[in-house]
Amino acid sequence: MKRIVEIMCLMLSLIYASNLYAHAVVTDHSLKIAQPKANQAKKIELTFNSKIELGLSQVFLVSKGDVHTLLPIGKGDKQGNVRVDLPPLPPGEYALRYKIFAADGHLTEDVIHFSVTP
Amino acid sequence: MAGIADFLDSLIGGLDLICFCLAIGGLFWGVLILRPWHQENGYNNELLDKTIALIYKGAFWLAAAQLFKVILKIWLMTALLDKWPFPEFAGTTQFIGGIIRTLLTLVLAGYCYLYLRNHPYSKGHWRTANVVAIPMIVSGAWLVHGAGRFENQFFLMTFTALHQVAAAIWIGSIFQLVNLWILRSEQKIPHTLWPQLLRKFSPYGMVAVAAILASGLPIALQYIDTWNGLVGTGYGNLLTVKFILLSMALGYAWLNRSAVFTYGSMGNDYALTRRVPYYIEAETFVLVTLLFTAASLASQPPAIDIPSLTATWQEVLNTFNPQVPLTQSPTHTDLLAGEAGRVAIVGQVPSVAATEWSNYNHNISGIFLTTMSFFAMLSYVKQLNALKAVNKYLSFTQYWPMGFVLLGIFLFFRSDAETWPLGPIGFWESTFNNGEVLQHRIATLLVFTLGVIELRARLSQNASQSLIYAFPVLSAFGGLMLLTHSHIGFQPKSAFLIQVGHTAMGVFSLILACGRWLELKLDSPGKEIAGFVSVAALFIIGLILMFYREPLY
Repeated sequence: MKRIVEIMCLMLSLIYASNLYAHAVVTDHSLKIAQPKANQAKKIELTFNSKIELGLSQVFLVSKGDVHTLLPIGKGDKQGNVRVDLPPLPPGEYALRYKIFAADGHLTEDVIHFSVTP
Repeated sequence: MAGIADFLDSLIGGLDLICFCLAIGGLFWGVLILRPWHQENGYNNELLDKTIALIYKGAFWLAAAQLFKVILKIWLMTALLDKWPFPEFAGTTQFIGGIIRTLLTLVLAGYCYLYLRNHPYSKGHWRTANVVAIPMIVSGAWLVHGAGRFENQFFLMTFTALHQVAAAIWIGSIFQLVNLWILRSEQKIPHTLWPQLLRKFSPYGMVAVAAILASGLPIALQYIDTWNGLVGTGYGNLLTVKFILLSMALGYAWLNRSAVFTYGSMGNDYALTRRVPYYIEAETFVLVTLLFTAASLASQPPAIDIPSLTATWQEVLNTFNPQVPLTQSPTHTDLLAGEAGRVAIVGQVPSVAATEWSNYNHNISGIFLTTMSFFAMLSYVKQLNALKAVNKYLSFTQYWPMGFVLLGIFLFFRSDAETWPLGPIGFWESTFNNGEVLQHRIATLLVFTLGVIELRARLSQNASQSLIYAFPVLSAFGGLMLLTHSHIGFQPKSAFLIQVGHTAMGVFSLILACGRWLELKLDSPGKEIAGFVSVAALFIIGLILMFYREPLY
């Protein structure tokens, strides 16, 4: 019976295995000020609430049909800033999906939606 | 795989804190409470061997947990980023700090195992062990929430480390008290040590709790700047849960202190030996859950950083608002039609059918739980004198755990719409090719098995000890899982509004577990009171589920 309880505890653990993570969050981003114009490259600034390990972070452009494209990223001018190089895009709905490793050891995954206007 | 790694990461955080309490709290216990270098205390080798064993085993396990955390991070990053994280990871604070803390913990564990264990009565060795622990405690400051902040970094790191030490002193001492009671029960130590050490610990316990509050409050004020932040964010919600758990533990501590006081003033040791040990066991359940909640709290973004994603107190209250349960489910076709739009990132379309499907499942589960717990409560109150006349008509209420069996069957049919028996995907194919379906199948099996076990435990006259304790242990573990499973996803506010109901159920699961545990251990009338409180907590969980409404997202 003791073994059954142990097995049930283990199974209970598996039930709650999550596939979402969060700790570092974007507190501000330049897309709030101006949406990108069609067919023009743009540098986007994401501001995080925590120190970010850039070498262990990724930002993807998500296009219609949830097609993912890895974007180049770099350090921004201020603390916690990450610069993302957005390529020229046709008008439409898009999203930035980021996976960020914060200095306190937490991995964060989140999405920012935006539109490209003509 | 990333999901399992992330979950293990939250779980190992709680285990890390438990081991920390065993090691650091044990050292404090030795130096300030036991003081074994005073020969007149009447300690024997058995007591000191076990005390020191808890310290070095805690430290060895802490080193293992710390190393495992680093390995988990590597696993998680490889799975999530789809690339090997070195050499970049080797240069991070987390990697360097994690390895340094592992090594310093090994030094502490090694010293306690090689030297303190062989000189348990030496004041010098106890003091040296405490000094050796200091670098390990300090190194932990680089691995906490505050280390990644831009403002007040030093203050946050220092206060978090102090908060951990204060908690370790209290909780580690409670672990030592459990150890002491086990030794007394096995008649390996003089009986007089139990009241003597309980009395000695009492004032230190109060100072430790005061230190927990004094160090925790300034941290909380740094991370939460409004009342709404406390009520309407995951961080605030888990902090509130921590406070509730602390209050529960203090309630048990107050009962223990009263018993010590009664013994001191009247010489009556009845409560001290027949109740206090079991209060301390229940307190241990609460404190272990508290440590896991603390670890889970570290994965939440501070409320101060997400003002635009904070729910209002009206929105939070609305999740518990009594309303007519949904008893009509959307059709299977409607549900499947909305799935593609619901899971899309670009062009996402919230699915009303998916939300109502989930609400229906929760609400009907709530009806199962409220009904069975109502009969369970009836099975306790039927023993009252006023109900003696109708007692024989209420004998069926003892079969209330059968409700879990029926709930298991309901969940089997309803959990996954796209799979057998309702959907086109076969049973085996869906179970082993989809992690989410596998989790639901396990949950279904667990609920069903729990019902069978508890039914046997309550009805059988000769039920084995492990059979009768299965229900409280699993309930506590379930509550712990509900509290640990608190992450924010792509829709932070919606996810929080779902989380707030689940954390409330986690707290009531713990009350359910503690109540049933005390019912099995205490004598009358505490036994009956604890049993009733236990099933009343199950009733409240049922109500939360019955009124559950998921936000549309």
